[in-house]
Amino acid sequence: MRLILPTTALWLLTPLLARAAEEGGLAVQAEPLWPGLPITNSMLMVWISVAIITVFCRAATKQMALVPAGFQNFAEWVVEGLYDFIGSILGPRLVQKTFWFFATIFLFILVTNWVGLIPGVGTIGRYNAHGEIVGFLRGGNADLNMTLAMAFIFNLLWLYWALAENGVRGFLAHIFAPKGQFHGLMRLFMVVMFLAVGVLEIISICIRPVALTFRLFGNIYGGEQTMEKLMGLVPKSLAFLPALPFLFMELFVGFVQALVFMLLTVVFLRLICEHTGHDAH
Amino acid sequence: MFTLLALAAESQDSVVSELFGKFGVNWPYFIASCVNFLVVVFVLKRYAFGPIQAMLEQRRERIAEGEEKLKLIEQQLAESEQTTAAAIAKAHAEAVRMINDAKLGAAAFTEQKAQEAIAQAQQILVKADAAAKADRERLGLELKREFGRLVAATTAQVAGKVLTPEDQRRLNEAALTEVEA
Repeated sequence: MRLILPTTALWLLTPLLARAAEEGGLAVQAEPLWPGLPITNSMLMVWISVAIITVFCRAATKQMALVPAGFQNFAEWVVEGLYDFIGSILGPRLVQKTFWFFATIFLFILVTNWVGLIPGVGTIGRYNAHGEIVGFLRGGNADLNMTLAMAFIFNLLWLYWALAENGVRGFLAHIFAPKGQFHGLMRLFMVVMFLAVGVLEIISICIRPVALTFRLFGNIYGGEQTMEKLMGLVPKSLAFLPALPFLFMELFVGFVQALVFMLLTVVFLRLICEHTGHDAH
Repeated sequence: MFTLLALAAESQDSVVSELFGKFGVNWPYFIASCVNFLVVVFVLKRYAFGPIQAMLEQRRERIAEGEEKLKLIEQQLAESEQTTAAAIAKAHAEAVRMINDAKLGAAAFTEQKAQEAIAQAQQILVKADAAAKADRERLGLELKREFGRLVAATTAQVAGKVLTPEDQRRLNEAALTEVEA
């Protein structure tokens, strides 16, 4: 089921998104800011997000006090809340090793999604050869390169952590070895059965980054496309009006997608480290 | 079979490259995105999570240390209370003993002083008695003398003659014998 759903969603989503792009509105791919320059509008948005995060972090941690106040208080609340939340899934030992990555995933996706909702993103830009506006800025996660990069890096780290926790033998045993105690013919049957299950598990593992990539991209791109289309339904002077309620919904979607991406990556790691971890108990 | 698998893989490759092409995925942008994300990871780890977690850990340690100290203080307080109670009980016993000693001492002193007072009073009484006795004797002698002189004077005036010392002595004795009787 885990394998079928994302794959089906992927095959259904692809033509829909491609058709939406062909029908005008927001292009399905991020576009270069200037022809010949390998910097896209999404990339610029990601840099802005990075700058915001950096400035906030510097402000929060510049003069740290034992009794927190202001930015430091807020930053500590966020970090401690995330640490406890991730720790409740991974356990105290594993969260200590991996917190930095999962917290980064959540905060980066959240900030990028929300910054992408600032008025002017996607609407201020230049006209291309077809007379369509190419925004100077575009949602960072509305670029498949970005979501794919995050999923790819997670998968590399997942493999590293899985091998570090289980060892190569344990890792393979986790995927292919029969679970439970069987004897005689039943054992033989289960070995064959779990080998087949292991193959499915490998396919599932390979599908995960694809599902992570397209889920986040599809939601953010879909949201932007929806607002773009809604704004085109009314005269330009009132274009903001139909998009306004969706702006609030997109704020929520931005948060939920950040949470979902982080939760899924956390759960994937937990699943592979479950049987060996002392944390699971 | 292998040919079929190879064909499937080949068609899969073309589907994937077509898909990525449509979505604008290419190596330079993908690598740039990876770098961007790694920069965020570095920034957050270096400037946010590191210091904040260190601060949280420091605070946790301080709280744990405070708890330990509180336990120690409570223990010391309990011990101190016990010691104080023991010291108070000891002081109380000592005070009671001292009061009793003082009471006993005071009673003895009072008794001694009373005895001394009594002795002094008795001495005073004896002295007063002796003085009174001496005074009485002295007064008696003076009275006798005066009485004798009065009797002699009266007799001399009544008799109209001058009495000799022998007469006066005899009269005195007779009068004193009369008075004392």
